[in-house]
Amino acid sequence: MTIRDKVEKFLQLQVDRKVFREHEVKNLLRGFGINSPRGMFVPRGAGIPSTFNLSYPLVAKLVSSGISSKSDVGGVQLGIGNGDDLQRAVTELSRMENAEGVLVEEMAQPGFEVIVGGTSDFTFGPIVMFGMGGFFVELFRDVSFALAPLTRDHALWLVGETKGEKVLKGFRGKPPMDIDAIADIIVTVSEIMATGLIRAIDLNPVALYPSGALVLDAKMTRP
Amino acid sequence: MTSLDSLFYPKSVALIGASASEEKLGGIVLKNILGLKGRVYPVNPAYPELMGLKAYPSIRDLPETVDLSIVMRPAAEVPEILRQHAGKARFALIVSAGFAEIGASVLQEELAQIGRNTGVRLVGPNCLGIYNPYHGLDTMFLPHSCLKKPGKGNVAIVSQSGAVVVSLLEAVRRSNIGVSKVCNYGNAVDLDAPDVYEYLAEDPETGVVISYLESVGNGRRFIEAARLLGDVKPLVVLKAGKGTSGQKAAFSHTGRLAGSYEVFRSILRQFRVREAPDYDSLLDAAKALSCQRPAPGKRVCIITNGGGAGVLAADECMRAGLEVAQLPEPVREMLRSTFPPFYVLGNPIDLTGQVRTGDYRVALDGVRQTYDGFIIIALTGVAGVTLELAEIMRDFRTAAGKPVVAHIAQGGIAGKLTTLLEKSKIPVFPSPERAVRALGMLLHDGG
Repeated sequence: MTIRDKVEKFLQLQVDRKVFREHEVKNLLRGFGINSPRGMFVPRGAGIPSTFNLSYPLVAKLVSSGISSKSDVGGVQLGIGNGDDLQRAVTELSRMENAEGVLVEEMAQPGFEVIVGGTSDFTFGPIVMFGMGGFFVELFRDVSFALAPLTRDHALWLVGETKGEKVLKGFRGKPPMDIDAIADIIVTVSEIMATGLIRAIDLNPVALYPSGALVLDAKMTRP
Repeated sequence: MTSLDSLFYPKSVALIGASASEEKLGGIVLKNILGLKGRVYPVNPAYPELMGLKAYPSIRDLPETVDLSIVMRPAAEVPEILRQHAGKARFALIVSAGFAEIGASVLQEELAQIGRNTGVRLVGPNCLGIYNPYHGLDTMFLPHSCLKKPGKGNVAIVSQSGAVVVSLLEAVRRSNIGVSKVCNYGNAVDLDAPDVYEYLAEDPETGVVISYLESVGNGRRFIEAARLLGDVKPLVVLKAGKGTSGQKAAFSHTGRLAGSYEVFRSILRQFRVREAPDYDSLLDAAKALSCQRPAPGKRVCIITNGGGAGVLAADECMRAGLEVAQLPEPVREMLRSTFPPFYVLGNPIDLTGQVRTGDYRVALDGVRQTYDGFIIIALTGVAGVTLELAEIMRDFRTAAGKPVVAHIAQGGIAGKLTTLLEKSKIPVFPSPERAVRALGMLLHDGG
């Protein structure tokens, strides 16, 4: 199936939604070879399964299409080390306003945080963005844009347009990060945007490692 | 689609709203287009004759279908006038203001509709139109006594704003460069920058295009035309209105960060279209690119007779992404054996206030092979700098075949030296930094 086919199929299964839920977006991305931490979705009112195939420590995240920043409303609990703590976290998060459920995921190793996004620009139509994550993006707006879709070369160019590229390439003895992995993600996001079926995508943050990358949070909306 | 040849090289031009008085816009334009290499038809029902030409009551009465009609009547009359253009004109250039720029979008949309229905291509409204010195075509309502336009040259100017065109015309002339085509398309109801870019890519008179933009209608079409033009000849874009921020209430981070200028700038860079950050840089780029061809590489050598000016140039090279690479040891040895011991033999090479003009030749010959571009700084306030420098630099440029720009400080022989250099196609700039940025435009593709 082409990217367009996969996105169309995804949209058919989600006809009632404009804002997609985190675990659904991550599942879609997995189908394109973009990794995220292993996890399970616990719908509101449903219990945690008695056995599950995840390793502690875990994180639990509020799933609610009405809230754009989970951590601002206390919707993220980190470092969950055992079953009791997990039960408590899921119960608490499920009680929050507009909760649709809880996404429980394995806690990722700390990586270098970057952002990959896509939006539909008023003048240029589908565009893709790459930037440094964390406070870099808030403080320095160290981001760059390109027309979607783009080639792998242009994806590497896009990474090179940010000041943070120096850090990614190994700065002051730190190991270089897997720039190829991020280029793959950028190309895929650009191709999803270029279908014209999606209004915006936000992978923020993506944890980048010396080998590989994990999408830690994902948002997506349709027009 | 009609080729823009009918717009830029019309064989016949009608002027709707022609006037006998040179105090009126319709008279100024009539006088200006009398120089046209083609037939001119003044249209004004009140006169049998204007400036020695037979005048016609309306465009319908003309003996032929004209390539270009210039419409200079109040906005409210324009739709009816345009309808009369059906079958009588290939292009209608609407000078009149009073459309979308004052909020009258409905009236402007009416023009677009009439254009589609009649098949007449529209330029404007709210524009000065076209200047083509190769064809004696000047539709701009600026009396030649107030604005002396540049002569024939290889720079094309494409501008959304009329005011910017007027000041660019004056500045270009003062910079000793000429123009190939000038187009101010105003509100762009039909003809837009990409149409003009496509035409200029093929235009043999045009060697470089500078373009002032406030908005681009269809971004994809714009970038495609800009890229294709840029493949053939240098295009330099100045985008005004950089302040617009991203969508404030955007759901995503990306939406909040995607300010319209940031996106525009990134996409220009993606497709390697040159961007001038400001007005001076646009003009300087035009001057540099009109004199010399772009070249690969980014290693720059600075030769100066004043330490401070050299350091300023080196600083700007760093900002412009140019490399002020060290002198190779053999070159340094060679210069050391020739020059007085107090000359500073690094990069910049500082020939100091005790310079003799011939020292520039020695230095230039020494570094010719090593670098991709050269900045020559001459402070003419010292006795050692003579007009011979122009000859030295001309010879060097011929031999090197690489970009060479100059900053000549004020005073003494500066004016004469500048004129001689610019005749030899070595552009001179009023500050070290501007010289560097202009060289950056010439070395743009070396990135």
